[in-house]
Amino acid sequence: MKKALAILLSLALLLGMTGSVLAEDDWITLRVETYDREITGFDVTNCWQLKYAQEHFGDPNHIKLEFVSFARWTEGDLLTNALAGGTAPDICLTYNGSLVQQCIDDEGIWQLDDLLNEYGPNLKAFLGEELLGYGQSDHDGDGVKEQWYLPARRISRANVGNFIREDWLKALNMEKPTNVEEFTAYLRAAKEAQLAGENTMPFSFGIYAPDPLYNVRRFTDAWVDFSQVTEEDWFAYARNPEMLPGSKEGFRWLNTLYHEGLLPETFALTDNDKANDTALIMGYNGFFSQQPDQPWRTDKNYQIELEKNVPEGHWVTVNPFKNESLGGKTLHDIYAPAGLSVIIPLTTDEKTAIAAMKYMDWLAVPENMFAMQNGIEGINYEGLTEDGIPYGVKSADAVPNENKMHAGDIVFISNGLCYGDDAKNAAALALPFAGYEDDVVASYADALTDAWTQISFTVAIQAETDYGSTIKSKQGEFLAAVVSCSAEEFDAVYDAGIEDILNSGAQEMIDEFRAAYQAGNYRGVFPGNLD
Amino acid sequence: MDVPAAKKPRRHKGWFKRDWRLYTMLILPVAFYLIFCYKPMIGIIVAFEKYNLFKGMWGSPWVGLDNFRFVMKMSDFSSALRNTLFLNFVGLIAGFPVPIVLAIMLNELRSTGVKKVSQTLLYLPHFLSWIIIGGMVLQIFSPNSGLINATLLKWGWIDKSIPFLTDGPHWQFTYTLVGVWQGMGWGTILYLSAITGINMELFEAARIDGANKLQQIWHVTLPGIRSTIVVLLILNVGQMMNISFDRPQILGNAQVRKFCDVLSTFVYRTGIENHKFERATAVGLFQSLVGLVLISGANFVSKKLGEDGIW
Repeated sequence: MKKALAILLSLALLLGMTGSVLAEDDWITLRVETYDREITGFDVTNCWQLKYAQEHFGDPNHIKLEFVSFARWTEGDLLTNALAGGTAPDICLTYNGSLVQQCIDDEGIWQLDDLLNEYGPNLKAFLGEELLGYGQSDHDGDGVKEQWYLPARRISRANVGNFIREDWLKALNMEKPTNVEEFTAYLRAAKEAQLAGENTMPFSFGIYAPDPLYNVRRFTDAWVDFSQVTEEDWFAYARNPEMLPGSKEGFRWLNTLYHEGLLPETFALTDNDKANDTALIMGYNGFFSQQPDQPWRTDKNYQIELEKNVPEGHWVTVNPFKNESLGGKTLHDIYAPAGLSVIIPLTTDEKTAIAAMKYMDWLAVPENMFAMQNGIEGINYEGLTEDGIPYGVKSADAVPNENKMHAGDIVFISNGLCYGDDAKNAAALALPFAGYEDDVVASYADALTDAWTQISFTVAIQAETDYGSTIKSKQGEFLAAVVSCSAEEFDAVYDAGIEDILNSGAQEMIDEFRAAYQAGNYRGVFPGNLD
Repeated sequence: MDVPAAKKPRRHKGWFKRDWRLYTMLILPVAFYLIFCYKPMIGIIVAFEKYNLFKGMWGSPWVGLDNFRFVMKMSDFSSALRNTLFLNFVGLIAGFPVPIVLAIMLNELRSTGVKKVSQTLLYLPHFLSWIIIGGMVLQIFSPNSGLINATLLKWGWIDKSIPFLTDGPHWQFTYTLVGVWQGMGWGTILYLSAITGINMELFEAARIDGANKLQQIWHVTLPGIRSTIVVLLILNVGQMMNISFDRPQILGNAQVRKFCDVLSTFVYRTGIENHKFERATAVGLFQSLVGLVLISGANFVSKKLGEDGIW
């Protein structure tokens, strides 16, 4: 009897075990790429947002969520390796458009139409038809465009932030400059008056190596002679703003600043960025140009850090880069409505791909997005306004480690905080920066003044794949050379630089862009068409 | 006549039985080379394909020499090649004799304490990553704020900072100097051990014959380490086409791009950044082939000159 009981018991145990094994089996793991911005104390692979999503989405659906961290500033290279090695996460995010194009060409990612239609109704509504169009192309040549990637929705498309020291203007008894002459006069006066002692460096300037002219054209475009630029030229020179008629004088202006000691002599050196950061915080600079919310960002808060060293220090927006050929418009480029690209690699099986789509669909539901983007009342923010927008948002270092979060990276389908409609979203931009709301609102207003949407093409540009990185590298060399050469040599150096860039593949790129424009395969705005 | 013939088969049979322990010890290094050096060579075929990120090297279409043609047509390629050869050649000329001189100097030191300390200090830089050295270089050579320029400006010896990092030829000098400094201590170790291998009786004999220190160095020490010098020279010549990525990338900048863009940074830019691994592989294969020719040539010449060579 005892023996029989023992057998029975062990059988039951065995069955129980297999039962639990089976139950385990219907769980699947969903690996989601997440950016690591090295925010102190914030572990992206084990953060509050992951726990929240696991509890509200993962557990009910038997999906184990895993966040895989990729360093933000090298994500493209890291993801390329992961894709080639077959170890990429199930949901991959990238800002690297050429990588996405490569994935489409090499047929290594899921075609998303069916998944999106069946499992992503909320996501589809959130992104909208126009935006989804950015992720569609006709790869198989049957005349019908397929959905290859999901473009994230950009809530704010502002890109340019130009900032000047209000306390310096006061000290110099000057008004905020409204054109380049006044602006240059301000820089000279600040240097003359040695407002930060012998460290005074009025213009914070450096080379952004991945795309050296991206941040420089916001200055030099002010000199472009639009009476000589057709819409076709604008798109043909999409990646070569240095070749637009008139921009040469903009580079000459930078050259002048360099020789007057108004911008750092070390601007081209590799670690200049770090030196620039320090200089901004120490209060040595009178002007810098980055993103419209840059002075108040949680990861690099130039305003608060500046106040620690210079109590009266105050960054305010400035808008001096007037283009006379456009009747005094101050051009600002803005992002396309499409943010980062989301792809699902083919190494992900169908079941997991469905889970991935379900997860993104869950993120797109307003309540879920609100929770995942804003965190907990009382911990991440103080309370809600009448419109339901959080106020008193805490900066990362004011939040305990286990509650630290990054709204943009983890709710990747939305580049920016989303509260439903555009008006609320615009109002919300300033709210996180308590005490500086007016500055932020003014900065965004400037950034959207005379705004032109950045150029993109709806077909693969082979010459850009082949020569794009070479051209960017050459543009870095060009910028360093034209800014630092002697004033007498400037014309020769400029012409030789342009020649060199053209011979290194830019000509092929320009021709192909032109052809794409003529075929109507382009997106973006020509400033000549702005009213 | 019969005796050696009878001996031969016995020796043949016994070699493994007698030395099997030694051969067993060989398994690990041989396996290392097979797995990490020979197996990856199969990847060379990527250079002849239009590489597909997802299909890998076995599934990608064959395009023959297209990648080589494309890369060699690029304007950057020839300048990168020229810079690579130039920097390596200057580095060899400037850097090769330094460890020899240092080794001889260290060898002549009486106090073993001083000798050990200076030896350690000399080869320490070898273990520093280029990122750290890059930071140090900026601290020292930067215009205006760099140690050298700041000091000289303050003393009034110069009235314009020396463009160590921002002017082409100056940069080449800085690059070489830093390389010599970083590598000299490490190279010294090899020569020091070679010097230790010289029979002391030769020095005694030279002294008895009335040779002074310099004569001893010239007639005993240098001939004693000649074979080491030749082997290292051949190996170095074989490395002419190879250049590390980190050193030019970290020490270089946009202002001296014409001078600091070398094959490794070229490969990174056109191959890796653009996701065109087949082009990166093509350049790598080209480098290796030229390296093979160079090392064989150097070996051939050294053999003709009566040295041992490396094979």
